[in-house]
Amino acid sequence: MSSLTTSGPGRGDAAGPSGSRTSPQASRFRGRLGELIFAAVGIALGLFALIGSFGIRVPESNRVGPTVFPILVAVILLISSVAVLIGVLRGRLGSPDESEDVDLSHGTDWLAILKLVVLLVAHLLLIGLTGWWLAAAVLFGGAAWTLGAKRWWVALLVGLGLGLAIQILFGELLGLSLPLGPILGWLGPLI
Amino acid sequence: MDNLTLLFQGFADALHPEFLVYAFLGVLIGTAIGVLPGIGPAMTVALLLPLTYTLEPTAALITFAGIYYGGMYGGSTTSILLNTPGESASIVTAIEGNKMAKLGRGAAALATAAIGSFIAGTIATIGLTLLAPTLAALAVKLGPADFVALIVVAFITVGALLGNSVWRGLVSLGFGLFLGLVGTDVLSGQQRYTLGIPPLADGIDVVLIAVGLFAVGEALYVAARMRSGPIDVIPITKGWRSWLSKEDWRRSWRPWLRGTAIGFPIGSIPAGGADVATFLSYATEKKLSKKSSEFGRGAIEGVAGPEAANNAAAAGVLVPLLTLGLPTTATAAIILSAFQSYGIQPGPQLFTNQPQLVWTLIASLYIGNVILLVLNLPLVGVWVKLLQIPRPYLYAGILTFAAFGAFAVNFAIADIVILLVIGVLGYFMRRFGYPIAPLVVGMILGPMGEAQLRKALQLSQGDLSTLVLHPFAAVAYTLMALLIVGALWLRRRQRRFEEVLTASLAVPEKVNEAP
Repeated sequence: MSSLTTSGPGRGDAAGPSGSRTSPQASRFRGRLGELIFAAVGIALGLFALIGSFGIRVPESNRVGPTVFPILVAVILLISSVAVLIGVLRGRLGSPDESEDVDLSHGTDWLAILKLVVLLVAHLLLIGLTGWWLAAAVLFGGAAWTLGAKRWWVALLVGLGLGLAIQILFGELLGLSLPLGPILGWLGPLI
Repeated sequence: MDNLTLLFQGFADALHPEFLVYAFLGVLIGTAIGVLPGIGPAMTVALLLPLTYTLEPTAALITFAGIYYGGMYGGSTTSILLNTPGESASIVTAIEGNKMAKLGRGAAALATAAIGSFIAGTIATIGLTLLAPTLAALAVKLGPADFVALIVVAFITVGALLGNSVWRGLVSLGFGLFLGLVGTDVLSGQQRYTLGIPPLADGIDVVLIAVGLFAVGEALYVAARMRSGPIDVIPITKGWRSWLSKEDWRRSWRPWLRGTAIGFPIGSIPAGGADVATFLSYATEKKLSKKSSEFGRGAIEGVAGPEAANNAAAAGVLVPLLTLGLPTTATAAIILSAFQSYGIQPGPQLFTNQPQLVWTLIASLYIGNVILLVLNLPLVGVWVKLLQIPRPYLYAGILTFAAFGAFAVNFAIADIVILLVIGVLGYFMRRFGYPIAPLVVGMILGPMGEAQLRKALQLSQGDLSTLVLHPFAAVAYTLMALLIVGALWLRRRQRRFEEVLTASLAVPEKVNEAP
């Protein structure tokens, strides 16, 4: 949890018995590059907050106007991000979170992340077109398949069941306004 | 003794059959979701928030209290029965509980955790009952400058002191403060950082932040580095009647009480809730035990103490939340936003303005604790089944519920876009070791801090010295300085302690893995 802050990018390097797909040097460099980019994002956000604060109109009457706090926030972001950046350059890398289902000795599967992001985008585009339940089924089925479900059609069926259950329980019976969509639109007045 | 009458009135309300059903459902669902691996208390509360949208305030808060306690307890079941490290709050439970389970004493570990949680939860709720009204009465007298001081203390402890790295915690806090700024400034009516995008004008709902960071972030993180191979659940065989032997009781009751004594005060002060408390309890038990060599190899004291401390801290966190309106953990921040979504503002006035609601809530905490105990021991078989849910389906479900929760906030597609962006942020924060809690707390407390700061400076006509010269504020800052020193010392100890622990644990694991 904590011993890693000073000792390299991941526990995987130390504990993985055969995790030598990439050389330690290369993965250390890549870990550091990602960290540098993230710290830079922090700095960029701080700058954005600082510059943006000049764009906020300050009403005459206010002694302490709406810009004071944003400037404080910008300063916190800038100072802490720069401090992290310097730390990373000196080799102090963060320790990745541990979790029950995470194996840190693996490399990062960027394709899986990309698939999940695309699925979420598809989900939000589909809600209005097909109704919430079908959009949910696509999200669930796609995500389960991405994460390694053995049979994709089982995943899709489970997703369909879950989507319909939520749609009927929350949308129709409890009155949350989940769009039913064209396929089931005729059901609405019946329930 | 006015409060006692009010509490009895609260019991009378909470024992209403309808509310009992809500309390029961809350505990059941909270535990069931909390048991699922990868889901901590904060994510449990965030994911289940939409469920309460359709209820009236009292029923919703009672359900929520059950979810909170259930989620807290569910995590410990996971760490005892599942052979992988989990949440930081229950990580010490995982050490001893897991070893006990491997030795075939999983039932005893679960029982001591359940009964310890019950005892600690009840005593801590009594503490909350006694302390909260008095504190609220005092808090009414606090001025804006005093609140600024309290909020600064909360920022520093949650942001800088709790994670592994002070600066990473502050970056996370800064992200949260910034996200809290987005929207329309209440005092001047000016839009800030909305980029002219209409959905941002009302600000970003904290549910989106919490669900995005915890649920979507975690799902992406797991997707990137999925643990492969079969799920390793340690079987529980014995019938639940013979769970705790006389010897186990003898060894457990003192740690339960000590854990409570450690957990409740630490939960009550803005020092970040359960993590610190469980660790302190574990260290205490190890020191006091005559069989300290057993620690690291399945000592029941190492489960009983930290579990009690964990639950006592969970109740302690409610003290500043209810009396001051100050959330000191991510979970508390989400609960606060749940209150706010019903137009209820926790804080000094809550006890005078809405006595019935508060006391019904407190009464339901007692009841929730009993339900937790009654429910948990017999239902272990069900929890074990939940642990075996195939991971692709589990995380697909988490994602689907996250999208549902985000959509249910305003029924706006734009909210799912925000959810996705926050989720990606959450992924990178996990990957690079930035703590999540400061962001959530900063997002909630930032706007409150700003309002109080501006009120204070308005009153003093711009004189900054008002912020530190108020007696209470001055005391708060002094205590904070002491707290920082104490926490830094504590963290160094914890770090060394964990290093020793991981070293001692790493050896046998390697032996197991060898072909």
